[in-house]
Amino acid sequence: MLIAALRRVLLSCITLVMLTVFIFIATEIMPGDALDVSLSADEIAMIPPERLAKMKQDLGLDRPAPERLLSFLGGVLTLDFGKTLISKTPVTAIIGYPLRNSLILAGAVLLLAIPLALTIGIAAAVWQGRAIDNIASTGAIIGYSIPEFVIGTVLVMIFAVAWPVFPATITASTNDAALTLLAASPLAVVTVLIGSIAYLARLLRTGMVDALAKDFVERLRLTGIPEWRIVFLHALPAAIVPSLTAMALYAAALVSGIVVVELVFAYPGLGQELVRGVTRREVHVVQAIALCSAALVVALNFLADMAILALDPRTRRA
Amino acid sequence: MTLFFRRLVRRPLTLFGLVLVGLHLLVALVAPWITPYDPLKLLDAPLEPPTEAYWLGTDELGRDFFSRLLLGGQISIIAAACAGLIAAIGGGLLGLASAYHRGLFDDVVSRLVEMKLSIPSILLVSLFVTGFGQSLAVLVLTMGLIYMMGVIRTSRAMGLVILEQGYVKAAQLRGESSFAIILREMLPNILDLLTVEFALRTSSALLLVSALSFLGLGVSPPTPDWGLMIQSGLQSIRSEPWLVLAPSLCISSLVIGINFATEGVAGLLGLEAARGATGK
Repeated sequence: MLIAALRRVLLSCITLVMLTVFIFIATEIMPGDALDVSLSADEIAMIPPERLAKMKQDLGLDRPAPERLLSFLGGVLTLDFGKTLISKTPVTAIIGYPLRNSLILAGAVLLLAIPLALTIGIAAAVWQGRAIDNIASTGAIIGYSIPEFVIGTVLVMIFAVAWPVFPATITASTNDAALTLLAASPLAVVTVLIGSIAYLARLLRTGMVDALAKDFVERLRLTGIPEWRIVFLHALPAAIVPSLTAMALYAAALVSGIVVVELVFAYPGLGQELVRGVTRREVHVVQAIALCSAALVVALNFLADMAILALDPRTRRA
Repeated sequence: MTLFFRRLVRRPLTLFGLVLVGLHLLVALVAPWITPYDPLKLLDAPLEPPTEAYWLGTDELGRDFFSRLLLGGQISIIAAACAGLIAAIGGGLLGLASAYHRGLFDDVVSRLVEMKLSIPSILLVSLFVTGFGQSLAVLVLTMGLIYMMGVIRTSRAMGLVILEQGYVKAAQLRGESSFAIILREMLPNILDLLTVEFALRTSSALLLVSALSFLGLGVSPPTPDWGLMIQSGLQSIRSEPWLVLAPSLCISSLVIGINFATEGVAGLLGLEAARGATGK
């Protein structure tokens, strides 16, 4: 058990280091350097060469790439993502509150999505092939086929324009308390929620259908155990364990969904900073946001692996 | 084959999906010839309501909205289909090679797949757009790469099953090269899977590309594109809601069509498409 756990800690660390290197390479090594990327060719032509050289020296861009990679890795370890190229604001100061706000949004979504998806997934599997299953399955396909920004926009049309019960955009400011922020953004939460439930319910239904078809369930039925006990105490744990990994991977899709929804509703989160960072080509901001969300997904994957280790003794032998 | 079609007819949702996709492809194909006006030309006052001359009114710059709507899927469909093709072919070959060779090659590929799956798609595209600049080529290649990772997983798993079959062993005993075995003995057996993967990844890519356009990181104006049109329509959502609703309906019906069709066809081919594991 301990060795298997340590092995997973090590694997997660290796993945994180590789991700950091990858993020560095994708943004900084390929064409030119960070300065070429953040300034347009016209702007560069306007700057006298000696000043350009001085700017590069200040930013440490005159050093060879491997050396910069090492200092980037060192910075990441101490949570220092550098400063923005133009205004020299520390990146940590830019993404601090937005990161918190995005996590609040994600947390609220998951808190609602998991019980709802469990209910729908279990119901669809227990009454497999019946009306409720067909409605849930068809609804799930429709749910994840519609882009989040369309769901959000339609919700705004219904609940903010036609029947104005909620505000169309969020008026809360970046450093408001968590509850103030959530109270101001019910439509944003619902938008992300719809896609999440569609995805998770479908996943759980597949797991439950597989579990309910296993021999041990048939044996339990023959011993006369009530069906609800079989479903909740025996089949459900067997269904959840294999879907945990897929659920952790869902975190990556959740981040993508949240980025889009934040822009629909002007929610003060990482998505706003990301789009601003990409359009202004602030390399360090984009790097930091990519790294944060990648670290989040790796951490969730690690937790899922640990949960599987704890719940399923068969995996401990590896 | 006739049995396949007879079964197909008995699945109304699958048929509905196929018809939707067919209609969309048809419109995208003939759009340049049937648009009433030049989609890029400023014709009239901005934000005109629908009239006999302009069936859906004019947009925020005074261009004919109906013409733009007809053309609005072209770029996204082409980009998404290219990405889906790259993902299916590249992923299929890499997955099979990884199953065939095992060892170090397999380990490296598996780690790469796992690594990619930890970066949300929108962030990965953002990284590449920041590094390489915003262009359709960068977008297509990045999306192809993103969705390739999922295909590697499924075709590697199927490759491991195929390796146990007698005909692979026979080819090995005949002394054929590993390249020939992968291409001639294994690849034909995963063509069903790759077709389904192509459709699934194309639908995911469509969602991603329209989301990126909506964010201003995908297709650039003035090209007509549904994601962009929804984004600019948001400003006049109170007075001209159809400017948002019409392109929303287009992109949603296209993706819903692909997913209904794929789900049904995958079921008929005996493949487990119930994964839906593509994510967005």
